[in-house]
Amino acid sequence: MRRGPMMVQAVLGCVAVWSLGLAPAMGQDAPVRGGTVVVAIVSDPGHLNPAITTSGATHAASELLYNGLLGRDERGDPIPELAESWQVEQGGMVYRFRLRDGVKWHDGTQFTASDVKFTFEEVLLKFHARTRASMGALLTGVEAPDDRTVVFRFKQPYAPLLYQLDATEAPIIARHIYQGTDPQTNPANSSPIGTGPFKFVSYTKGTEIRLARNPAYFKPGLPYLDGLVMRIIPDLSVQVLALENGEVDFLWELPGQLQSRVKSDARFQTARTGYHPGGSNCIMTMSFNLDRPILKELRVRQAIAYALDRQAFQSQILFGDGKVAAAPISSEIPWAHAAGLNMPRTDRAESEKLLDGAGWKKEGDGPRTGRGVSGVPDGTRLAIEFLHFPTFAKYGELVRQQLGAVGIGVTLKPLEPAVFAPTVFKDRNFDSNVISYCNGPDPEIGVRRMYHSSQIGPAPFTNAAAYRNPRVDALFDEASRTVERDRRSRLYRQVQEIVVQDLPYYWLVETVSTRAWTARCSGFKAWTGLFAEGAFCRR
Amino acid sequence: MPSRYLLRRLAQVVPTAAGLLVLNFCIIHLAPGDPAVALGGEHGDAAYYAFLRARFGLDRPLPEQLLTYVSNVLRGDLGTSFVHGRPVIAVIGERVPATLLLVLTALALSSVVGVWLGALAARHGRRLPDVTLNIATLLGHATPSFWLGQLAVLALAVGTGVFPVQGMTDARNPGTGVRYLLDVLHHLALPALVLAANELALTTRLVRTGLLEALATDYVRAARAKGLPEGLVIRHALRNVMLPVVTVIGSRAGMFLSGAVLVEVVFAWPGLGRLLLSSLLARDYPILLGMFLLISLGVILANVITDVAYAWLDPRIRYH
Repeated sequence: MRRGPMMVQAVLGCVAVWSLGLAPAMGQDAPVRGGTVVVAIVSDPGHLNPAITTSGATHAASELLYNGLLGRDERGDPIPELAESWQVEQGGMVYRFRLRDGVKWHDGTQFTASDVKFTFEEVLLKFHARTRASMGALLTGVEAPDDRTVVFRFKQPYAPLLYQLDATEAPIIARHIYQGTDPQTNPANSSPIGTGPFKFVSYTKGTEIRLARNPAYFKPGLPYLDGLVMRIIPDLSVQVLALENGEVDFLWELPGQLQSRVKSDARFQTARTGYHPGGSNCIMTMSFNLDRPILKELRVRQAIAYALDRQAFQSQILFGDGKVAAAPISSEIPWAHAAGLNMPRTDRAESEKLLDGAGWKKEGDGPRTGRGVSGVPDGTRLAIEFLHFPTFAKYGELVRQQLGAVGIGVTLKPLEPAVFAPTVFKDRNFDSNVISYCNGPDPEIGVRRMYHSSQIGPAPFTNAAAYRNPRVDALFDEASRTVERDRRSRLYRQVQEIVVQDLPYYWLVETVSTRAWTARCSGFKAWTGLFAEGAFCRR
Repeated sequence: MPSRYLLRRLAQVVPTAAGLLVLNFCIIHLAPGDPAVALGGEHGDAAYYAFLRARFGLDRPLPEQLLTYVSNVLRGDLGTSFVHGRPVIAVIGERVPATLLLVLTALALSSVVGVWLGALAARHGRRLPDVTLNIATLLGHATPSFWLGQLAVLALAVGTGVFPVQGMTDARNPGTGVRYLLDVLHHLALPALVLAANELALTTRLVRTGLLEALATDYVRAARAKGLPEGLVIRHALRNVMLPVVTVIGSRAGMFLSGAVLVEVVFAWPGLGRLLLSSLLARDYPILLGMFLLISLGVILANVITDVAYAWLDPRIRYH
């Protein structure tokens, strides 16, 4: 076995990250100490252990209590956090991390490499869906040779690891609290001990979570705030009213229809980001069930793509926020996103021509009729059933309206997520649907599952189209083993070129989150779960 | 004997609740939806979802799950929440005080003010106060509480700053003692008013109609002829009108709870309604079953209280 560092990313992190953390990320003022910020969150997290769930509610409420081995900068790239430096060895089969010295848990216990080993082996790989699904089968072991060194060993080169180590993907929890207990029912889930910038104070169920400054935080000087209150307000419109009424200071999600009002108000500031603790870099994607005779035909899928005006989705549903998807991989992962692809543009005439050519003829009003279409009896109407979450009803309406204009009938079927998933992925009882596929910080996490043939059912939110292309499978497999980013970038470009030709999906719009906060506060980092680590407020 | 009657009524609660328990279990488990998906999010693999199902016993046959559940309930164990990872009784228990406060305040408000407004309208039958109240109650009864809530927030909270928009307390300055109580009352005012509005309108209309009818009867005419003050006449008549009103108030306890779901969401009130909604979306079966049981018992209890109230209102009623 070849040993020795193939790529060394030894990062002299302390100075760099402290300067990053200390710099007011989105503000112009000098930091002010003290004060409490009230943050609106949408739902009661139920518990505050982000290592046992991928739930956005838990992560939004709890990540400030924890740290990952690495953090993420504004571009989503890894930066030092609990680990101050790292080395990639044996072509990506071994990752060696040097941990920061002097980090303490909130109860005063020393943080060591054994905490990392325990968290991965006993918690993340069992309970954290993304970590388990992505690296569970490939990770052969996590070693802690001494208190400040952690080594990850994989069966084969594993490229995305460095993007999976922040507090969202892999928060580190305390071994001395959780060892020998059931991590899902440990009382510490409701009164957590972490290493993060804020310490837990109280959790009033259904109401709020109160945090206080961690004076022993390992980044000197941080945080600036004395405290933080996570106030649970389920309705996004009410959150905005509470912001306007001065009852809260920070919103995770500013709804599209209220953005112009808040953005035009000098009392508030906003920032857009593709990051969300429940799933980052999401693209609203229309999937086609390739097992169905009508949609098996490429010309029909192309006709649908030409018939859709994606700009209308952006303006009418996102109110100008987000962007029309320019490639199958999100532009928020710039190194993997293939710019300049030849995506279908809105062209109704071309759409009608393709449908005519595929045997779907216009015969009077209503949907077209099939004549000589393979696998479809003559006289069949061109009608598809379109599934969507109730919250995505507007997407369904636009799809129905725009496809109706070229003679494709669409029946909308709204289904709750818990029903939608088995209907689409287990029973495969659908023609088409819209899914918010979140690409995550690395294509290996959120993109591979959409296209790789091994990802066809029954697990939810995998390859909904049942797309099978050996070339695409091989490219994904190669990309997952390739550590060098430029090479990976080229491999993902090839994948995107192929799938844009094959159109198992049609990528509508990239959605982003807009954070909003009162202008008297600054220093929020919208792109990370540690969003208030460097925040401060004028009195 | 009222006490024997009461005991018999309470004994009837047991089979009713048992029947509801089984029915609720079947309805929830037979409804489409997979708790493992709701809980596990979208990034797990098949093995992860299978692991979750096995962990919560959802991979076992339904009759076996039902038997386990019923035997646990008989031992006083309502299970552990999938989402919260804590006993259902604890999770529900934390939310009960907020909902009780909201619902009982709204109930008291709608009953007391409703009866008073109904009496006022009847007293001024078909004159301006009556017509005004008639229109107002018609609108109040027809307006959905979630919309009324939004209007109230816009008009009385954001517009004027008199009331807070959300929550049960001030997040920035949580008080203690009397200050805390006043803070809670300040936050309670709008949601309680909104929740009460619909029932208040109904009670007003019922009392008005009943009183108008009662005021035209012979015993009232006789009372007036004897020179009884109008206030006292109304009081006498009111007692006869109250029987159907109490029936309606008692039978609408369930409506209050369902109304609370919407009002609690609009005002971010930390009660059972919001827990019910989030548990429904998350397919948190143990919480849902626990809440359905609680709501069922609440409605049954409200009916028992209604029956008992009859005797107090009308001494002619005897229990057998």
